[in-house]
Amino acid sequence: MMQTTDWRAGLGLRKAGIYYALLILLALLAGIAHSRGLPAYLSAQNLGNIAYQASLVGIMGVAMTVMLITGAFDLSVASVAALAAAVLVGLAPSIGFPLAALAAIVTAISVGLFNGAVVQFVGINAFIVTLGTLTAVRGLVLVLTDGRSLMVEQPEVLQQMLAFESTRVPLFWPLLALAVALFAWAAFRHRILIGLAGLVVAGLALLAGRDFAVAAPVVYLALFTALVWAVLRFTVVGRRIYAVGGNAEAARLSGVNVHAYKLGAFILSSAAAGFAGVLFGCRLGAINPTALQGAELTVIASAILGGTSLFGGAGSVLKTVAGALLLFTLTNGFNVLDLGASYQGLIEGVVVIAAAAIYTVGGDRRRKEAAR
Amino acid sequence: MVGAPLLSLAGVEKVWPNGTAALRGVDLTLHAGRVHGLLGANGAGKSTLIKVLAGAIPASGGTIHWRGESVHWTSPRAARAAGVATIYQHIPLVPTLSVVENMLLERAGGWRADRAGRARAAEVAGLLGNPFDLDALVGDLPIGTRQMVAIAQGLMADPALLIMDEPTASLAEHERERVYAVVRLLAAQGHAVLFVSHFLDEILSLTDEVTVLRDGRAVLHAQTATLDEAAIAEAIAGRSVQALERRSRARPLGAIVPTALSVPRRTPGPRVTEQDGRETLGPGVRRGTAGVTIPPEGRYDLTPSDPPALELRDLASPGKLAPTSLTVQSGEIVGIAGMLGSGRSELLHAIFRADPAARGAVLLHGKPIGRTPEEAVAAGIALVPEDRATQGFIAGMSVAENIALPRTGLFQSPEREREAALAAIERLAIKVQGPDAPVGELSGGNAQKVVIAKWLTPDTRLLLLDEPTAGIDIGARTDILRLIRGLADDGLPVLLVSSEFEELIGICDRILVMRDGLVIAEVDPETTDEAALIQRASGNFPSTGMAA
Repeated sequence: MMQTTDWRAGLGLRKAGIYYALLILLALLAGIAHSRGLPAYLSAQNLGNIAYQASLVGIMGVAMTVMLITGAFDLSVASVAALAAAVLVGLAPSIGFPLAALAAIVTAISVGLFNGAVVQFVGINAFIVTLGTLTAVRGLVLVLTDGRSLMVEQPEVLQQMLAFESTRVPLFWPLLALAVALFAWAAFRHRILIGLAGLVVAGLALLAGRDFAVAAPVVYLALFTALVWAVLRFTVVGRRIYAVGGNAEAARLSGVNVHAYKLGAFILSSAAAGFAGVLFGCRLGAINPTALQGAELTVIASAILGGTSLFGGAGSVLKTVAGALLLFTLTNGFNVLDLGASYQGLIEGVVVIAAAAIYTVGGDRRRKEAAR
Repeated sequence: MVGAPLLSLAGVEKVWPNGTAALRGVDLTLHAGRVHGLLGANGAGKSTLIKVLAGAIPASGGTIHWRGESVHWTSPRAARAAGVATIYQHIPLVPTLSVVENMLLERAGGWRADRAGRARAAEVAGLLGNPFDLDALVGDLPIGTRQMVAIAQGLMADPALLIMDEPTASLAEHERERVYAVVRLLAAQGHAVLFVSHFLDEILSLTDEVTVLRDGRAVLHAQTATLDEAAIAEAIAGRSVQALERRSRARPLGAIVPTALSVPRRTPGPRVTEQDGRETLGPGVRRGTAGVTIPPEGRYDLTPSDPPALELRDLASPGKLAPTSLTVQSGEIVGIAGMLGSGRSELLHAIFRADPAARGAVLLHGKPIGRTPEEAVAAGIALVPEDRATQGFIAGMSVAENIALPRTGLFQSPEREREAALAAIERLAIKVQGPDAPVGELSGGNAQKVVIAKWLTPDTRLLLLDEPTAGIDIGARTDILRLIRGLADDGLPVLLVSSEFEELIGICDRILVMRDGLVIAEVDPETTDEAALIQRASGNFPSTGMAA
C-alpha cells in the first residue's frame, strides 16, 4: 500500500511537473510545425539535435545539481569550460589530443580546488568567490588566447578531436535494452513509475527507428547522469551529500566529513565544466575567447527548472537534465519554426520563474498541511 | 479572584484543512493581574491555542470574548492592537539590529531615530531592571538576555495580556529566575500572563491558576494552590506517571582517583521497563539489551576496570575548557551539572572531537581517538547535541534516513534501514506515521527520540548526551531517561549534560559540577539535592578544591 501512495505522489505536478512540461512543449511545437506544413518536428533527427545542443549544459547542470544539493553555488562553470577549451586547443598541436584534454581537465579541477578551498577554509560565500573566478578565469582565457580565436591546424590532431566529439553512436538497440531492463526492474520491485519510464524509453526507440544515432556528447551526458544519479540514489555518499546540504552541523555531528563533501562538490563541478570545455573545443577545433559566455546562467536555470533548491538538501539530476532539454527545446523550436528569435529570452525567463513559483507554492502548501 | 475576565474562550476548536483536529473545544478564562499556567504534552494543542490567541490563525469554532466583547482576530496585528502580546519560544529577533531597534520593530513612523520610541524602550528596560544595554547588538547577546529583549519587545505596547510560550526552555537556572521575577512583577502591575511551560516546578511556584491540555481538550482547570506535581503530571499524561525513582546503590566516589568498590550490581535486564505496566517493546526487541555491544571489560558493575571505558587526559580548548582529566567506567552514567556557558557542551564537543581547537587525549578502552568527528564516530563515540533542530536532525530527510546517517559503507540498504527505523519507532515509542515521514514534521520529543535512535547501534561504545530532554513533555522525558539508564545498565558508559539537576540526581552514578570551563567538584547524587547542586554550579558555594 506504501507503493500506491508513492507512485501517485510521484506523478504529481511537483514531483513530475518538469517531465510533463517537456512533453507538452514537444507536443505543442509538433502541432505548430504540422499546422504550418513544415517537416515533422518530432523526427529522430531533430530530437537527437536537441539532445546534442543540450549536452554541454546538461553535463555542467548535473554537477551543478550536486553542488546545489550540498548547499553551495558555482557561477564560474562557463568560464572554466572556456579555459579548458583554450588549454585544449592551445596545447593539442604540440602534445597531442589525449594529453591536451587531460591538461585541460586538470586545469579546470585546479580552479575548482581554489574555489572550494577559499569557500571552505577562508569562509567566504560561494556566490562571491565564484563570481570572482567567473571574471578572473574569463580574463585568463583572454590572456592565454591574446584576445584572438585559436585553432588547431594539424589535420591528424583535428581528426582525433572531431572523432571524440562528432562520432555518431547508434542508439536503437541500447535504448531497447534499457527499456527491457526498466521493465524487469519494475516487475521485480513493483514500481509503477519505473515501468512508465521504460514505456517512454521503448516508445522513443520505436519512434526513432532502427537507424537512430546520436552524437557522442549525448552519450557522455547520459552516462554521466546515470552515474551521478546512481551515486546519489544508492550509495551512502549520496545520502551524505543530501545531509550536508540539509543540515551541515547535524551531518558533522553524525561523523560526516562536511569539508570533504563540500570541496568534492566544487571539484566535481569544475571537472564537469572542464569536460564540457573539452567537448566544446573539439566541436570546432577552435576556441574564441568569448565562447560560452553566460552559459552558467543556463546551467543554473536548468537545475532550478528541475526543482533543485538553492538552499541545499534537495534536488534531482534527472530533472536537471530534463530542465536543460526543456530550455534547448525552446531554443530549437524558435529556430526551427522561425517563431521570432527576439521573444526567446523573454519566454525562457518567464518559464524559469513560473517553474520556481510552482515548486515554491507547492512546497508551501505541503508544509502547511504537514504543520500542526 | 473577582472581577470580569479579561479574556474568555468557550469551546474553541481548530481543525486543519487536512482534517486533523488540533483543538476540540477549549475553555479558558484569564483575569488581569493573574498568572495562568498552560501545560500539555507535545502535540496536545498548546502551540495551536497560542496561535489562535495571537491572531496568527483563525479558530474553526467556539467563541472568544475580550474584555466582554466577542472578537475575531484575523491577523496578529489585530490581536496586538487589542492588547495581546505573544512571545514565542523561538525568539524572533533580528540579530543584526540593536536591542532598541528590535524593540521598535513594530512601530510605525518614518524615521529610524525615534526619540519617543527610545524613551519608551528605556522605560520598558527599566521596568525589567535594565538587563541589557539598549544599543547592544542582539546577535552578541547570550540567549538568556535575548529572551529578556523578546519580553521587552512584547511589553512595548503595554499589553493587557502577555502570552509566553516556554520562555525558560532554553535558559539556565539563574536566567530563569530573572524571567520569574519579571512575570511576578507584571502580574503585580495588573497584566494578565499566560505562561506556557514544561517545567512543573515553575508552574507550581509561579502561577495562580493552571489549565492542562490533552489531545486538544482542556482536561484540568484549577487554582495552583490546590495542586501538586503528581496531579499535574497525571493530567498531562492521562495516566499515572511514576517519577523516576532512584534505587539505592553504592558507587565509587572520585573517578579522578577511583576507589575500588566492588558492589554487586543489579542484574541487567528490563527492570525499568515494566514499572508502569506499559509494554512498548516489539517482538524480538528487548529494551536495554538490544543493539548495544557490551565491551569485553564491562562487568556492568562499577568496578573500575583497566583501562577505563573513557579516559580524558588534559583535554582542553582555549577559552572554553580548562585542562580536564577524568575517567568513566563501563555502565556508569556521569552527570555534568553546570549553567549555560559553564563549558559543559564544550566538554562533550571536545570529547567528540568536534572542536578543532581542542587539545589533549581522549582514550576509549585504552585506545586514543583521532582528531576528527569522523574518527570519533568510527571508534564508537555518539553525541546527541544540545539543539536538535540545528545540530541533531535533518528536517527534510525521513526518519529512516536520519537514523541511518552515521552508517558508513558503500551502498545504502533501504530494507535494513527501514527495519532499523521500525525497531527504533517501537523501542522508543516514537509517534510517527512511519519510517518515511520527514523528521521536520515531528514534535520536539519525537524528533529528539529520532536523534537518539541514530546512535542505538551495536557500534556505539560511549554515549554523550547534551540536554536530551530539553523542551520535551514529561512522558517522552521519562521514556528517554529510562532508555539511558537501561543502556548504562547494559554496560554503556554515558556522559549526561542536563539543566534539569533533578534528572541528574535521579539517574546518574556521580555528578561533575562545571563552572567557567572547569570541573570544580564531584558530588554523589545520593547525598546531594537540587538546591545544593544549583548553588555549586552557580557559584554560591565554596569550591571544594577538587578541580581537575
